[in-house]
Amino acid sequence: MLQLLIAHLAAALAAPALVRWLGRRAFLLLAAVPAGAAVWAITATNAVLDGREPTVSISWVPALGLDLVFRVDTLSWLLVLMVGGIGSAVLIYSTRYFSARSSDLGRFAAVFVGFAGAMLGLVTSENLIQLYVFWELTTIFSYLLIGHYSERVTSRRAAMKAILVTTLGGLAMLAGIVLLGHEAGTYELGEILTAPPTGAVTSTAIALILVGAVSKSALIPFHFWLPAAMAAPTPVSAYLHAAAMVKAGVYLVGRLAPGFSTLPVWQAIIGVLALITIVHGGFRALRQSDLKLILAFSTVSQLGMLVLLVGSPFKAGALAGLALLGAHALFKACLFLVVGIVDAATGTRDLNLLSGIGRRMPVTATIGALGVASMIGVAPFAGYVAKEAALEAIIDDQAALAPFGWPILVVFALGSALTIAYGLRFWWGAFATKRNVTASLEVVRPPLLLVAPPMAMALAGIATALLPGLGETLLRPHARTYPLGEPGHLAMWSGFSPAFQVTLAAFAIGIAVFLARHRLSGWRIPWPEQWDGDRVYRNTLRRVDQTAAATTAVVQRGSLPFYLGILFLVVVVGALPGLLTAGVEANLWLGTDVIVIAASIAIVAATVLAVRARRRMKAVILAGITGYSTALVFLVYGAPDLALTQVLVETVTLVVFVLVLRRLPIYFSDRPLVASRWLRLSVAAVFGLLVAGLALLVPQARIHEPDSADLPTTAEEFGGGKNVVNVILVDTRAWDTLGEISVLLAAATGVASLIFLRHRSTERPRPGSFEEISGKLGASEPDPVARLRRPRHDEAPTRRASWLVAGVTLAPHRRSVILEVAVRFLYHTMIVVAVFLLVSGHNAPGGGFVAGLVVGIAITARYLAGGRYELSAAAPLQPAFLLGSGLFLAAGTGLASMIFGGEVLESAIVRWTMPVFGEIKLVTSLIFDIGVFLVVIGLMLDILRSLGAELDHQGDVLDEDGEPVRQALEPAKTIVRRES
Amino acid sequence: MSVLGPDLFLVIAAGVLIAGGAFLVLERSLTRVAVGLILIGNGVNILFLITGGPRGGAPIVDVTPEEAMADPLPQAMILTAIVITLALTAFLVAMAHRSWQLHRHDEVQDDLEDRRIARLAAIETAQERGDIGIVTLDEEAAGVRDETADIVEEHWLAEEDVR
Amino acid sequence: MTWLVPLPVVIPLAGAGLAVALGRRSQLQRIVSVVSLTSILAASLGLLFTVNDSPLVVQVADWPAPIGISLVADRLSALMLVISSAVTFCVLLFALAQDLALGDPDSPVAIFHPTYLVLTAGVSISFLAGDLFNLYVGFEVLLGASYVLITLGGTRARIRAGTIYVVMAIASSIVFLLAVALIYSATGTVNMAQLAGRLQEIDPGIKLTLQVLLLAAFAVKAAIFPLSAWLPDSYPTAPAPVTAVFAGLLTKVGIYGMLRTQTLLFGEGPADTVLMWAALATMIIGILGAVAQTDLKRLLSFTLVSHIGLMVFGIALSSEAGLAGAIFYVLHHITVQTSLFLVAGLIERREGTTSLNRLGGLARSAPLLAALFLVPAFNLSGIPPLSGFLGKLGLLQAGVEAATPLAYVLVGGSILTSLLTLYVFAKAWNKAFWQPPIDPTQGTRLPAGMLGTAAALVVLGLALTFAAGPLFDYATEAARDMYARTPYIEAILGSTP
Repeated sequence: MLQLLIAHLAAALAAPALVRWLGRRAFLLLAAVPAGAAVWAITATNAVLDGREPTVSISWVPALGLDLVFRVDTLSWLLVLMVGGIGSAVLIYSTRYFSARSSDLGRFAAVFVGFAGAMLGLVTSENLIQLYVFWELTTIFSYLLIGHYSERVTSRRAAMKAILVTTLGGLAMLAGIVLLGHEAGTYELGEILTAPPTGAVTSTAIALILVGAVSKSALIPFHFWLPAAMAAPTPVSAYLHAAAMVKAGVYLVGRLAPGFSTLPVWQAIIGVLALITIVHGGFRALRQSDLKLILAFSTVSQLGMLVLLVGSPFKAGALAGLALLGAHALFKACLFLVVGIVDAATGTRDLNLLSGIGRRMPVTATIGALGVASMIGVAPFAGYVAKEAALEAIIDDQAALAPFGWPILVVFALGSALTIAYGLRFWWGAFATKRNVTASLEVVRPPLLLVAPPMAMALAGIATALLPGLGETLLRPHARTYPLGEPGHLAMWSGFSPAFQVTLAAFAIGIAVFLARHRLSGWRIPWPEQWDGDRVYRNTLRRVDQTAAATTAVVQRGSLPFYLGILFLVVVVGALPGLLTAGVEANLWLGTDVIVIAASIAIVAATVLAVRARRRMKAVILAGITGYSTALVFLVYGAPDLALTQVLVETVTLVVFVLVLRRLPIYFSDRPLVASRWLRLSVAAVFGLLVAGLALLVPQARIHEPDSADLPTTAEEFGGGKNVVNVILVDTRAWDTLGEISVLLAAATGVASLIFLRHRSTERPRPGSFEEISGKLGASEPDPVARLRRPRHDEAPTRRASWLVAGVTLAPHRRSVILEVAVRFLYHTMIVVAVFLLVSGHNAPGGGFVAGLVVGIAITARYLAGGRYELSAAAPLQPAFLLGSGLFLAAGTGLASMIFGGEVLESAIVRWTMPVFGEIKLVTSLIFDIGVFLVVIGLMLDILRSLGAELDHQGDVLDEDGEPVRQALEPAKTIVRRES
Repeated sequence: MSVLGPDLFLVIAAGVLIAGGAFLVLERSLTRVAVGLILIGNGVNILFLITGGPRGGAPIVDVTPEEAMADPLPQAMILTAIVITLALTAFLVAMAHRSWQLHRHDEVQDDLEDRRIARLAAIETAQERGDIGIVTLDEEAAGVRDETADIVEEHWLAEEDVR
Repeated sequence: MTWLVPLPVVIPLAGAGLAVALGRRSQLQRIVSVVSLTSILAASLGLLFTVNDSPLVVQVADWPAPIGISLVADRLSALMLVISSAVTFCVLLFALAQDLALGDPDSPVAIFHPTYLVLTAGVSISFLAGDLFNLYVGFEVLLGASYVLITLGGTRARIRAGTIYVVMAIASSIVFLLAVALIYSATGTVNMAQLAGRLQEIDPGIKLTLQVLLLAAFAVKAAIFPLSAWLPDSYPTAPAPVTAVFAGLLTKVGIYGMLRTQTLLFGEGPADTVLMWAALATMIIGILGAVAQTDLKRLLSFTLVSHIGLMVFGIALSSEAGLAGAIFYVLHHITVQTSLFLVAGLIERREGTTSLNRLGGLARSAPLLAALFLVPAFNLSGIPPLSGFLGKLGLLQAGVEAATPLAYVLVGGSILTSLLTLYVFAKAWNKAFWQPPIDPTQGTRLPAGMLGTAAALVVLGLALTFAAGPLFDYATEAARDMYARTPYIEAILGSTP
């Protein structure tokens, strides 16, 4: 069995190649695969009958109760036979049906065979989830097959319809399966059916599963996808949408009925939907003029009958249902193939254009007649046997069915009457000679391979009917498993029974209707327009699209302030509940420390002014003031390292701003909306209040000693340093520091990448790919970081002349002698200080960061004094090199310590004595700190190079050209392409 | 452990910093946003320090007696945070400059695509946009023709016509 | 085998340093990044197979917990590391192929490679962090790198998108830092194991507040409604490989943060209900957003947001099954979302656009590309038997197990979401691949390297399906460890000398 599935998979994968190689003949080869399945089923017949059901089981995802278990009982056996037999027949038919030139035959063949495999898996699945897996696969394949002629909007639309409707059902079914599995404690069908769970949840589960079945089997209200699916090539219609896939729903119903058909919810759903579908389908079929559509609606109607019978709790009904299942597969597929022949031979399927075809195509007409006979239930055809058995069953179980017995009987009879009417009309429409139709279509003799498959099916229809006993023995085992009633029988002639009388009546009505077809043609079914499934589907879809657009328009403002505002509000609203229910209260006290008070006042004042500032520079400087005041607070609160760092960082930040702001306009542009101003103000205020509240309340919740309690002692013994903070930074939490300097590296690279973009207007970047930068950077500036490293040819022409080259290179009006002199004295002092800070950092305030920043500021000073040539003179080393080597050093020490058998970043204390200095104690973590030192310098240098020197240069370009910088603007082409 | 909470002055200072920063961040000018982020950063750092533990002396052995030391751990973390903020500020400012280069202003504009969707919300473009038009089945059926073999030329045993 | 633990961080950082220092020598840079990423992948795989019920712990610089920083590799971390390094590796190859496709091997990659390495390092730091502040640092590292990557080239669109992205991320980081500061102030520790104990002992109201603050911070990174709107505005404009790795990975780091902190630090509580609703809103509003799109990349970004909701659903259930489902779904989503974005990149490269209204006929003109799109698209739509279906199934089962009304609502929500996802992709397929093309001219040929790497990722997604059995078991065990909490805590504090 597994081999069969694998064979299908392999065949599907091989199909495109085969078709490319053999052309249409490949279909013959592929037909062997489903045929194999059918043959296998036949050989397995006896085993299935005496209960030695072939079973295979493989474990897949035990955690989800999802194992692959295949089992073939009589029901599965019947469907395997149908799926395999008809599948191969249709494939053979396709070898001649399609033109050798027709497009995508390979893909078609692959998907078709794949579908056959999925169907095979579906009907043999023992595990419900596994069944769902194959269920969805059939949906997917049918989507691809319906959309075969993908350039036609009809096909695409129909494919979308089919996949959405059936998947909707499928997903409902999945939910139902999960519920059922949870109730039953297993997904194995056998176990579930032997002890079916009961209760509200189970009923819900069953209802959901039935939704799946009903949508797949195209019952009202989901029926509308099936007629639309006729956009698929006729072989597909014959196989998927008549014989195989639509039967999946019937199969599932028949599979679960023995366990659940007595549930009220089950009977309500099955009964109501089936009955409505029977009538609706019948009437619609009567009124179509396209042969394929007639068959489509007849399929809808008859699926109703099948579900009604197979879904009934009665043994007899079930038997009749199974018989009808087989019969329907045979005659419906046969009729579709016949339509295909007529269509291919005449070029139309419209029964108003067809005339006299029967005389020109006698063989095809005969096959059609046989098929129709079986459909409308004329003896001696399978259809007849099944329908008789069905009527027998309904009449025999009247008592049990009451009070619904009569309505069911009437509707069923009406259904068969309609079948007779549209069946006759179908044959008449396809083959009869019509007086009023004069269109003489050129008709040709169909090749044998086109005629043989439907012929075979028609004959099979007779054969099975001639030995009903065999059919009964084959189907009885499953019918027996149904809960209620007496086992029924399949017979060709069971006397002049009430059932037979009903049949006669049905024929009478049916023929009458057929004869009166012209008068009835104007007559419509009383069916409210807005209930029309198709219309509902369209409206729903449109409504979904509109809701989507509307909600997205509301949520997706594309405005940064809006998003940030939401974030702040979410934080406030989210934090409040906990804060209000907190069992701690703040104790408010005002410190008396003058410095703190002063600092706080300074901060508040500066902040308020900064918020109100309309000049960029002013805002920045005020922000700086808050920073310096913060440093003051740090100092007072016993954090000298913090204070030092804060001061330096604040300075650097100022430098950065100054460097950039000199290019930006002096004033902020005003926000147009004043109203929003208040909104933003209140959001900000609330946020600030909340944070203040947190600051007051949260500390009160502490009841534990902080981890850092005994850090100081360990810091000295273990970290070999007196400055605990520094020990933490370079040793205890060096891991954080490592990450932090990599942020510095990233940011530095980013700054460079944003500034060094030049001569781009000539390039035409390929959209959406990172080599864009290469395009953007242009040939002369290929590598942003590289050009940091390589002194530009025009740079530092007179390095040797004097170390403060500004005298030579800087325009006089830009020079400031005092500054230059001051810098001349300060520079080296600062460098020395920095080195001292670096080395002593472990025991006194200082360390890599501080030292690096000091150096950075020293260089900044020289740059400010001497301009960009001075910069390259001051710092011969390249920022990229510093950054890179710094990070490499820091990370390297981590690796090294591991190689030396310690933990990552573990430090060691090395002591040795030197003649002059006496004993020297070196903590290896100093190396790490040097790495940090280098990275910080690298960052500073990088900032000066890009935001400083490079902007000077671009500025110069601007001055010399006397027109605004063009290099930043994108090529028009790419704009068009991206905004489209 | 300290029942003594943080100094109200500093709490207010931090609160004001954060509120002011938040207000600036809600602006459109990138420079203002950057300044706002700096303010918020300072506020959070102060808050980190004053809520991290009781006030104390510099955590340097031999300078401050161990019991009088301030908790060094928050200090280390704040230091890390400060430096990260510096790096990101630099990047943000560079971005502001780039934005100015491109647009001659440093304002954050709204997303065009989102505006388009917003417009689209008003109009019903659903059905024009393709796969759910209204056509009757018969019209559809008329349009559906398979690429069938024109059986005239070929006998049923005819050789495959090679493409 | 504890020596393996720090490698996924140290190696890429050293590599990044080298790459920057090497600067111009782009050939060397490429070698450096390929070597580092390969070794990360190897190390992660090593961890995956060595980690058992007791997580591997490294005390950085040999400082005993809780003073020093603990690196912890438990099953969850190992899984995340493996999948992330595998994906980053594939994307790197894709980028290299794209880069070489230019013709000149010396085209500058000086920015991309080091930054990309820093990004991977940041991701690894976050996955290994056994220390809350270190988790913050990890986020900063990967975000810092991501800022650079998303603004590569500094074009108009990217600066605009980058601004939204960068400012949003910085804001969320500030919230994160605030949360860490307050957590330290309330408990006196940032060591996860310590916190796991202490947070249960402090005042519940304060605990809830702290939890919400952390959640808000993570919600921005993971793009959870109502903090998700920034994502679709920022991701699509970045270069294809960048978008791919961001979409696949970065949001999941946020999810990882939630997984870790919710289970280990806070456990079940009132926040779960809020998360449930957030998850529902994220799913539905996200997918509705996707329905409204006509550009493939934006459409994908919205599906990304929507499916984040599914993972949050699993987390919010705070049951073993829920966590297991969420973990498995994360693995699936990282792989599939990344490959979809790579394919979108390929389409853009071939046709010069990703607008569904201008594309067409690709199914016929580029069958391989069509297959590469269709498989992950169906996978994301939860079509069985693909991994997306299995993850969804796990979540559904967990939801039904919980059997609370709200859980049922979310089960319904996720069902609806997958239906709409299918609708979205069917629409995209109908337009881009089936509807007749506007101009039937052949697009530019795609370099085999790019196709190959994209295909490799698609195959990886399929491999998840085939290996689903053991993977799901592993995920379940990971969930069990997290739910039990004790293994993690003991591994850290027990290892104190």
